Amino acid sequence: MGDYRKLWSDLKMDLEKHDVLCSVLPELYSNVYLSQENRPDGMNYFNFVVSEVHGLRIEELDNHKKQGGKVLGTFCVYVPDEVILAANAIGVGLCGGSQFWIEDGEKVLPRNLCPLIKAFVGAKISATCPYFQSCDMLVGETTCDGKKKAWEILNDYVPVHVMELPQKKREKNIEDWKLEIKDFINVVEELTGNKITFENLMNAVKICNNKRQALKRLYNLRKNMPSPISGLDSLLISQIAFYDDPLRFTQKVNELCDELEGKIKSLKPNNKKRIMITGTPMAIPNWKMHSIIESLNAEIVVEETCTGTRYFENFVREDAQNIEELIDNIARRYMGVNCSCFTPNTGRVEDITKYAKEYNVDGVIYYNLSFCQTYSIEYKKVEDALRKENIPLLFVETDYSEEDSGQIKTRVEAFLEMI
Amino acid sequence: MIEKNYILFPSYNHGLALESLLKQNKIQYIISPTPRQLSVCCGISIMYNKKDEDLIKKLIDENKIDILGFYTLER
Ligand code: SF4
Ligand code: SF4
Repeated sequence: MGDYRKLWSDLKMDLEKHDVLCSVLPELYSNVYLSQENRPDGMNYFNFVVSEVHGLRIEELDNHKKQGGKVLGTFCVYVPDEVILAANAIGVGLCGGSQFWIEDGEKVLPRNLCPLIKAFVGAKISATCPYFQSCDMLVGETTCDGKKKAWEILNDYVPVHVMELPQKKREKNIEDWKLEIKDFINVVEELTGNKITFENLMNAVKICNNKRQALKRLYNLRKNMPSPISGLDSLLISQIAFYDDPLRFTQKVNELCDELEGKIKSLKPNNKKRIMITGTPMAIPNWKMHSIIESLNAEIVVEETCTGTRYFENFVREDAQNIEELIDNIARRYMGVNCSCFTPNTGRVEDITKYAKEYNVDGVIYYNLSFCQTYSIEYKKVEDALRKENIPLLFVETDYSEEDSGQIKTRVEAFLEMI
Repeated sequence: MIEKNYILFPSYNHGLALESLLKQNKIQYIISPTPRQLSVCCGISIMYNKKDEDLIKKLIDENKIDILGFYTLER
C-alpha cells in the first residue's frame, strides 16, 4: 500500500482534499465490484489497477517524465492516440466521472452543464487528480459547445491544444481532419522533441490496433448467452483502457479472454434480461447505471458509447506505404466514430440496430448525461429506428449524484418487467 | 464470497509477489483496495479465506515476502 505522499506533493496536489477523495474509493469499489458473484480470476489485474490508480500508474508517469518523456491528457476518443505514442509520449484519458469534483467545477462553470465537463474542470482547478497534475499538455477538441468553451478556462491552468473537429462527414471534412492531425503531429513533435516518422507511427498504429482487437474479442465473448462477464466488469476494463499502459493492458485483456473462452462452455442459461446501453460516456468511477441495472434481473451485454464500442470499433488500416497514406488511414478510422456532435449522424442509429441483433438484446437503455444536448436530441432518431424493429427502449437522463438512484431503479425495474 | 480477511503490504510489488504464489498454489484470493479502516495509505491488499491462513503464512516465510500484517474486518 505504498506511500505516495511525496510524489503527490511534488505534483503540487491539494493533499488534504485528495485524501477525502481517496477515502471513498475502497468502500465504493468493494460494494460495487468485489461483491459480485463468480467474477473471473482475470479481473484481479483490474482490481490491482484500480487499487493503485493514484499510485503505481502515477509513479510510472513520473519515471517517464524524469527520463524526459511527456504526458498528454485527452478528453475524447477522436484524439488520435497513435500520434502521442509515436512521439514516445504517454496519453491519458481525463474525463471525470466523480461527483466529488462537481462542486469545484461549478465555481467557474454554469451549473446547467454536463457533469463530465464540470467534473474534469473541477478536478484540475482543485488540484486533486494526479493524472491532471502529471500532464504537460491537454488536448481538447471542438465537439460539443460545453467542451469547446471549457478549454479556454483550463488553458489558464495548463497549456491546451485544441483540435478542430469537423461537424459533418463529407470528403472535404475528412481532408480537414487530416490537416488537423498534421498540426497535432507538429505540436507533439515540438513538445516532445521527437520526430514522428513513418516507422514509429506505424508501430503506434499496430499497438493501438492490437488494443482494439483485444477489446473487440472481449465484446464478442459477451455475445454468448449468458455473457461470461458482467457489464460492470466490462465497463471497468473500458475505463481503464484510457490510462493504463497499452501493451500491458492488451496482454491482460487477452489473458482474461482466454479464461472466459474456457468458462463459456460450462455456463448455464440464466433468465436475466440482456440490455444494451447507448449514449454518453461513463468516465471512471461512474458505475451508477451499471450497478443499478445489474442489481436487478438483468445483464448489460454491450455499450454503444465512447467507453464501449466506439472506442475500439474500426481499425486503422496498416497497408500504408508512406506517412502521408498512414495519416490518411488514421483520419479515416477516426472519422468513422459515430458521435452525436456530427450532423447528420445516421451511422450511430445503424450501429445500435446492428448491435441489438448481434448481441441479442432484450432492450436498450439510452443513457444521457444531464444537459448533454446533442445526445438528448438524437434520442428521437434512435427511438424511431428501434420502434420499427420492435426493440424496447428506455430513456434515462441523470448526473453523478446518487439522489435519483432509487427513482431510476424503479423505472428500470418496470422496464425489465415489461420486456 | 470471499471472507473479509486482508493482507497488507509495504508496497505493491510484495503484493504481486504473493499473488503469483497464491496462484501457483491454487489458493483463492482477491486483490482489493486497502480498506480505510485498516490504513490511511491507499494501494493494494489481498483478501483471503481464514482456512488458508496457515498455508499463506508458510508461503510468506519461505519466500521472504514483506507484509505489514494480517487483518480481519467485522461485517
Ligand atoms: S461522445 Fe463524442 S465528444 Fe464525447 S468522447 Fe465520444 S466522440 Fe468525443
Ligand atoms: S456528454 Fe455531451 S455535453 Fe458532455 S462532454 Fe460529451 S458531448 Fe459534451
